[in-house]
Amino acid sequence: MAEKKESYAEAMAKLEKIVSAVEKDELDIDQLSQKLKEAQKLVSFCKEKLYKADEEIKKIMEGEGN
Amino acid sequence: MEKEPLSLYELNALVRQALNESLPDTYWIQAELSDVRSNATGHCYLEFIQKDARGNNLIAKARGTIWANVYRMLKPYFEESTGQAFVSGIKVMVEVTVEFHELYGFSLTVVDIDPTYTLGDMARKRREILKQLEEEGVLTLNKELEMPMLAQRIAVISSSSAAGYGDFCRQLEENPYGFVFYPRLFPALMQGNQVEESVINALNAVNDHRDDFDVVVIIRGGGATSDLSGFDTYLLAANCAQFPLPIITGIGHERDDTVLDSIAHTRVKTPTAAAQFLITHMHDAAVSLEELAQTLISSVSVRMDKEHSRLAELTNRLPLVIKNRTIREGYLLEQLIQKINVGIARSLTNKQHRLMLLEQRVNDASPERLLKKGFSITLKDGKAVTDSTQLKAGDVITTRLAKGEVTSEVK
Repeated sequence: MAEKKESYAEAMAKLEKIVSAVEKDELDIDQLSQKLKEAQKLVSFCKEKLYKADEEIKKIMEGEGN
Repeated sequence: MEKEPLSLYELNALVRQALNESLPDTYWIQAELSDVRSNATGHCYLEFIQKDARGNNLIAKARGTIWANVYRMLKPYFEESTGQAFVSGIKVMVEVTVEFHELYGFSLTVVDIDPTYTLGDMARKRREILKQLEEEGVLTLNKELEMPMLAQRIAVISSSSAAGYGDFCRQLEENPYGFVFYPRLFPALMQGNQVEESVINALNAVNDHRDDFDVVVIIRGGGATSDLSGFDTYLLAANCAQFPLPIITGIGHERDDTVLDSIAHTRVKTPTAAAQFLITHMHDAAVSLEELAQTLISSVSVRMDKEHSRLAELTNRLPLVIKNRTIREGYLLEQLIQKINVGIARSLTNKQHRLMLLEQRVNDASPERLLKKGFSITLKDGKAVTDSTQLKAGDVITTRLAKGEVTSEVK
């Protein structure tokens, strides 16, 4: 779980890195589309965290320790 | 013996009479204020409380009233003199009359106040606790924790029956952005003398699963201010200050502030406000994600535009380069052709000239010309005779003249 929590921050950090690389023109065009795909995946991963219920977490929240 | 019961009213009337007779004067008392409320008519209703030496358990409590005509003067006088609001939690010295009403029971009516006696037990105790925590170096530990980017998994310490918990969950669930939250209740008593122990037990339970949570929320619906005393203890404050997850408190209302609030990572007034805080925090995360995505899109499109215009520029330059090149080649070719023409012409002229000279010379050398000048050619057997030794007597020779021939015999 700690790992899952971490990964949102990690995803954001990766995303920021990509954005800054694009902004600074550090990527050539071939890399660009590949990085863009990666960024898209990161964004949808993050959005999923925000807006979609994770059944696994739900189970932990409801089940354990009560 | 026959029983002659009194009515309750009669008994209460007796109590009232006895009180009036035995406590006829006004009395100065020291007590702590609690649950101070004033209504629209300007009367102030409150509770006077006294605690044991440790300061955690109530040992005396009395209802009090300050009638509007007194309160109107007393409150500003007190607040101006002390610089402190006339609110719950302060200790006061007041002059009271003792009242008993058949229906409303025992109460004290305030007629005067001594503002020099201001700092109540509660407030001083809070300061002392905070000071102790500061000396121990733990006062700001919880505040120093970083609120995780996503605070979704929420350990809620609250009374399961209290309206506050329901409000909190409903508020989270109905957040307008559609964020997902995972609240889980760790039940605890939120009023009375067992608050400290009960909340600490709940904190320990959360701590056992601390990897499953992002944040702890301690909430409580509204209630009498005196009920908040459980949140002003050293042990609870020390536990919370050193707790490994950020703690959000929403345990009182505007007029209440506890030690727990002072050490918590974030304090809000109500359970609803606690939920709102978490929603806002998620919203911030969503906004920064959205911004990042937007920045990415725009910087990629800027980059692509740049590449497009580079390509376009190259494409534009290409025909011009080719055209220039073609023109230059054409020109060279033209020059070459011209040179060739000139060369040919010159060479032809030369040849013509030479031909003419030759012709001249040929003409000059022709025998007809000599014959016309009077020379003749002597032929023997069709061959020209150039030496007289070639001939002997009797040979027939032919002499060719410019016009005609003469045949003769050698002698």
